[in-house]
Amino acid sequence: MGALTDGVLTGSVYALMATGLTLVFGVMDIINVAQGIFVILGAYLSYTLQVHFGIDLFLGLLITIPTMFLVGIVIERAFLARLKGPEKTAMSILVTYAISLVIEGLLNEIFSVNNVQLSASYVNESFKLFGIYLPYIYLDGFLLAIGLLGALYFMLYRTRFGASIRASLADQSAAALVGIDVKKVSTICFGIGIAVTAAGGMIFGATNSFNASTSYDLISRLLTIIVLGGMGSLAGALVAGILMVTLEDLVGVLWSPVWSTMSFFVVLIIVLSLRPQGLFGKQSARVA
Amino acid sequence: MTNSPYVSFSGVFAGYGGGDVLKDVTFNVPQGGITTIVGPNGSGKSTLLKTVSGLVRPRAGEIVFKGQNLVGKSARDILRLGVVQVPQNHSLFREMSVEENVELGAFLVRDRNVIAKRLSVIKEMFPIVAERSKDKAGSLSGGQQRLVEFARCLMLEPDLVVLDEPSMGLDPKTLKSMFATVKMMNEAGRTVLLVEQNARQALKLSDFGVVLENGHVRLSGSGSEVLNHPEIGALYLGGTITKASNESEQ
Repeated sequence: MGALTDGVLTGSVYALMATGLTLVFGVMDIINVAQGIFVILGAYLSYTLQVHFGIDLFLGLLITIPTMFLVGIVIERAFLARLKGPEKTAMSILVTYAISLVIEGLLNEIFSVNNVQLSASYVNESFKLFGIYLPYIYLDGFLLAIGLLGALYFMLYRTRFGASIRASLADQSAAALVGIDVKKVSTICFGIGIAVTAAGGMIFGATNSFNASTSYDLISRLLTIIVLGGMGSLAGALVAGILMVTLEDLVGVLWSPVWSTMSFFVVLIIVLSLRPQGLFGKQSARVA
Repeated sequence: MTNSPYVSFSGVFAGYGGGDVLKDVTFNVPQGGITTIVGPNGSGKSTLLKTVSGLVRPRAGEIVFKGQNLVGKSARDILRLGVVQVPQNHSLFREMSVEENVELGAFLVRDRNVIAKRLSVIKEMFPIVAERSKDKAGSLSGGQQRLVEFARCLMLEPDLVVLDEPSMGLDPKTLKSMFATVKMMNEAGRTVLLVEQNARQALKLSDFGVVLENGHVRLSGSGSEVLNHPEIGALYLGGTITKASNESEQ
């Protein structure tokens, strides 16, 4: 039960971070391998606001989320909007990897390679749930992730802009033919995809110690989540995110922590060999 | 229908980077009628329609509609001028409901009341939209999807409707209803520019016909003139106009 609880609480945060990644791939055909470093950048922004300005981690999101949104917009306009043609997806991996390396270098320069962790009263204090003690930040992080995913869901399914995103996810040419500005939708989607890393990064940084190179572990997990869930599928990101952490915890508790990380990749290989499009992916077309 | 040119193609050259698909295409589309473009595969019919809707930008020439050159305008700006296109492949958003798809046809309209009014008119014109409004578009048959695509394109109340091979993949019964719908759209005041492999049926319906071959306009005239032209039969029996001309001269 404890593993399941942790799986749902922590998995939802991974799902939030992976949602940004899958949204960007779905709309733009871009695989953003810099998502991991953006999460760490988000964590460092929260760290800076807290340590240097004394701003609470959750309150700081009012600054870090819009900041990361703007970072996303600038990067999309400066680099990714230029990618075109059949090699766009492959090139996007190289371009975002280069962006990742630059940001990693800058973070190492500014913050050094020493690990840090965000702290607050709710990070250090625990509560008991199903027989295990969990710091409040797990519950707060879960509520934040669910709140943001809910807001994202509302935006996607209940607004005109959301309809334009879902249409662009399904078929960019058809979307253009009904008057949707697919370029603008792409830019805003990339901004949203990066903005969620501010929240994900803050929770990650409060529950783990990190430095810039932690991004490599993160991006491998996030990519695995969206591949398992189905590239471009938002529901898939949520299910796979929760599944990943739950499975790791279960294997760690019931068998051995040595195999916990590997277990998810074993499941990934099995699922992909049976369903190459992932749990919620479509073979011929991506869907919202 | 009036004889004045509504859309005027003048010296249009266009392609996809690997050479021109359209080579000096020049003809006029009269206002208020149905104009059908026919021709063998690869003759540039779909490319021609894409130049009208802004999906392909000609490298030379002019396409004048309502006094404005469409060349260089974005797909959105061309939509705003009242030109909508239903592409060759099914273009409904499969995971969205039928109603959501149709509403997206009025994406450029901001006023929710206007959209609601138009939707109710469309539901009367196309009962399938009312009957299956909450169903996913992907669950409809090919013919039903085509009708919903027509319904969607009318949400913008366009002046010019561009249809790219709407009969593709439809069974004979659905084909008949599809052509009846094209006629209905025209009678409702829309000028229709149609590309169709089902040439004879389409030309029978048309006021004006254009034959494209290898990116050139080889023949144009009234629908019946093109339909009854001796070279057309040869073209669709596998020959080319040039070959047919040579044969008729001998």
